[in-house]
Amino acid sequence: MSAPTKRKLPLLMGYRKSKAIFRGADKKVELNLTSMIDMFTILVVFLLKSYSAEGQIITISDALTLPKASVEQKVEMKLEIQVNKEAIVVDGDPIVAVNDELLSTGGSIPALTSRLSDHMEYNRRMKGTITEEDMKINIQGDVAIPAILLQRVMASSSEAGFSLQNLEVIKAEGEQ
Amino acid sequence: MAQAASKRSHRKKHPPQLDLLPVMNLFCVIIPFLLLSASFLEIATITMAPTQGIRQGATGATTNLARSEEERLQPKVIMTSQEMFIGTTAGTMHVCYTFREQRPEGEVLTYDFDSLAVKINDVYNELSRAYPSIDFSKITILTVEETRYDNIIRTIDVCADAGFDEPGLQVAPAATVNRAAQQ
Repeated sequence: MSAPTKRKLPLLMGYRKSKAIFRGADKKVELNLTSMIDMFTILVVFLLKSYSAEGQIITISDALTLPKASVEQKVEMKLEIQVNKEAIVVDGDPIVAVNDELLSTGGSIPALTSRLSDHMEYNRRMKGTITEEDMKINIQGDVAIPAILLQRVMASSSEAGFSLQNLEVIKAEGEQ
Repeated sequence: MAQAASKRSHRKKHPPQLDLLPVMNLFCVIIPFLLLSASFLEIATITMAPTQGIRQGATGATTNLARSEEERLQPKVIMTSQEMFIGTTAGTMHVCYTFREQRPEGEVLTYDFDSLAVKINDVYNELSRAYPSIDFSKITILTVEETRYDNIIRTIDVCADAGFDEPGLQVAPAATVNRAAQQ
């Protein structure tokens, strides 16, 4: 027995399909993408605006919270020291653990100075000379570190030849 | 007799629809990429002046600043664990007392940076008026060892807003800093 044609379908009570539905049954249902495209366009424009073409290829460790400041100076790609309450990290490698002994005295930290000197020596060998740019170093410090720890890190950097020290902060917009 | 128009000619002619699917595909690629690479937190840097040595002897925390007129007149922000001062060649000016502030990480010791902003501006204006030929930009932050890093940064930031945008840092034991504050 062949399948009933559209016209011969039985009309059940309360189930009366209009002819218009039957006429459109074999058509493809098309999504109206225009509104979605509009939304995506706005999103893309917003993201492109916030996208920094200069690129901030800087990794901020989860273990530290940078302080906020309203300074404008852009960050440069330099050797980085991360200082948090647990350790001092140079270029991703933990160098010194932060403990009471480290915080009890001032001056440079020998292990850190040694590591930074190695970096400086490597630069000297690679380039043959040391320029002012090579003397720059970025320091990322956690908001809660004490001044003595910062001073010891800065003193170690100076001793190793990194005399131009930049403190990294999160730029605060309209705060203070 | 004119021939009747065919049914076909009565059909509405729809404009051809644009195929938006390739655009959608492109957007689906671009948006995750931009979301991943977007930097919603902008990082900036504060360039520090080379660290100056501190004489921790009986003469207090004063450093040898007499190399030039600007260095001689260079003010200091002195941060002790109880108070904050501004030190100039004319003497030491009290700024504020420390107070405890409730923050997400707990109760922390901090300073009244609004008072500092007012007073450091006054110092800058007075120095600029008295010595118009000198462009004052250097300032020294002299602090005790326990001062939190965010307090130091905020002090540097307030001083930079006032015009002192070449900060130097000196850290000394409490006794030394207290002596410097009393000078």
